[in-house]
Amino acid sequence: MNIDIKHIAKLARLEIPEDELEMFGTQMENIVKMVEKLPDISDELKPDPATPMKLRPDVAESGKFTRQELMKNAPSVKAGCLVVPKTVEQ
Amino acid sequence: MALYEKSASQLSAMLKNKEISSVELTKSVFERISQVEDKVEAYITLDEENALAKAAEVDKKRAEGAELSPLAGIPIGIKDNISTKGLRTTCASRMLENYVPPFDASVMTKLRAHDIVVTGKLNMDEFAMGSSTENSYFKKTKNPFDLTRIPGGSSGGSAAAVAACEAVMTLGSDTGGSIRQPASYCGVVGLKPTYGAVSRYGLVAFASSLDQIGPLGKTVEDVAMLQTAICGHDKMDATSAYREYPDLAALLNSDVKGLRIGIPDEYFGEGIEDGVKAAVIEAVKELEKQGAVVKHISLPSTDYALSSYYIISSAEASSNLARFDGVKYGFRAEEYDGLVDMYEKTRSQGFGDEVKRRIMLGTFVLSSGFYDAYYKKAKLLQRRISAEFAEAFREVDVIAAPTVPTPAFKIGENTDDPLKMYATDVCTVTVNIAGLPAISVPCMNKAGELPVGLQLIGDKFAEDKLLGAAYAYEKAVGGFRLPNL
Repeated sequence: MNIDIKHIAKLARLEIPEDELEMFGTQMENIVKMVEKLPDISDELKPDPATPMKLRPDVAESGKFTRQELMKNAPSVKAGCLVVPKTVEQ
Repeated sequence: MALYEKSASQLSAMLKNKEISSVELTKSVFERISQVEDKVEAYITLDEENALAKAAEVDKKRAEGAELSPLAGIPIGIKDNISTKGLRTTCASRMLENYVPPFDASVMTKLRAHDIVVTGKLNMDEFAMGSSTENSYFKKTKNPFDLTRIPGGSSGGSAAAVAACEAVMTLGSDTGGSIRQPASYCGVVGLKPTYGAVSRYGLVAFASSLDQIGPLGKTVEDVAMLQTAICGHDKMDATSAYREYPDLAALLNSDVKGLRIGIPDEYFGEGIEDGVKAAVIEAVKELEKQGAVVKHISLPSTDYALSSYYIISSAEASSNLARFDGVKYGFRAEEYDGLVDMYEKTRSQGFGDEVKRRIMLGTFVLSSGFYDAYYKKAKLLQRRISAEFAEAFREVDVIAAPTVPTPAFKIGENTDDPLKMYATDVCTVTVNIAGLPAISVPCMNKAGELPVGLQLIGDKFAEDKLLGAAYAYEKAVGGFRLPNL
């Protein structure tokens, strides 16, 4: 199968340099060839009754972290806000 | 015998009897680290200052007569994808090079309540994607039994640190074999618990439906102790099982009379080295000699497991790793032109090649027009593999197989060929797909040999049976062997 690496990379928000396109392309084709080895099964995919999941109440908990603690790892912070490039044109 | 060479259970008794202090023990382990870490390179971050402070605190508690856990004062290393409050957690990625978690993973909260001493954070394949620890952004960990070989992965640092005695025990994580495979290569014991037995809260997500944190140690008893401390329901993990767990170390029983051991022929076929097959069969014979009953069984879909695993794990990874966008935490590219360019440059510079391959594979199998052919089929196959195991466990109590097809390979040997690297997971991925527990215990472990593990697979939540069988085997053939470093 021919895989459009540029398209896949774009969907994944990755930039693959021109000189690496061939390497990634060949590797991806080989990997896809390997994972294609699947038997024909056409059952319906239903939730597994053996592993039920109980959901906990969705309650906001406050006081666990300060805003400062949570923003400590952010690459760019100004006036208590995360800074990102401008996204809306004036 | 130096303190660092001893098992956790031996040290626990010595600490309890006040023959040694935790400060002495911790100093012994850090002394060992200073001697061998240059060669082994198991750690990304060491935390000697806090380790010694914690050890002193435990000694003080003990002197005051406090009732302490058997793990109190034992130096334990943590894989670097498990969040440790205030201690850098990198996932061996440039993306998280400077990330310091503001919270502890639930396993860490539990272990801190047991008063463990944290030695530091251990090297791994970037985001746990790999089988050799060569995908770390920071360093290449070496196999302590042969420094020209890989320690396995992705928990390569966790296994190498135990083998080299740079920690008494360690935590790893296992998505497709990442605890068992390096344990096998490094001659230590590693347990992948039943899915849902150990909370994943605070484990940086790779493939959420397959990931599980588990213990590595020198002996089966050590692993049983650590597993008992980390398992249990956690409301912070929606997939955490609602059940009570026994004290696995107290239950440990080497009586295997009547234990039914299944041998799946599919795990002894092409690609498995003859020496490995022979060692595993020899190990099963030892258990048979002790009264176990051996039966041949069939797990016919094993051949498809690797495909199913790489589809499911990569699909989940592509979604989980979407969070790394350079906004809220982690690395951000220095130069970019607008928001989308910032995302793309950040992710392209922050992730290594293997992570990019997995993200792209996951994106591909989930993309429009391909979902039914790949992801849906892989999920259906997952059901079939689980059903085959369930059927097998009506006939047998545990299943014996090799952990890996060969002993540890040379550093660099498989780095150019992702498929060869993926093939090393062929004996371990089925267990994650079916959500089962499995242990790797050294079975080829004589001086001059490269270690290889016997893998024992159990039914869901049957860790006690696995540990019992592994314990019986370990008692018969001898346990931990110190590498010559």
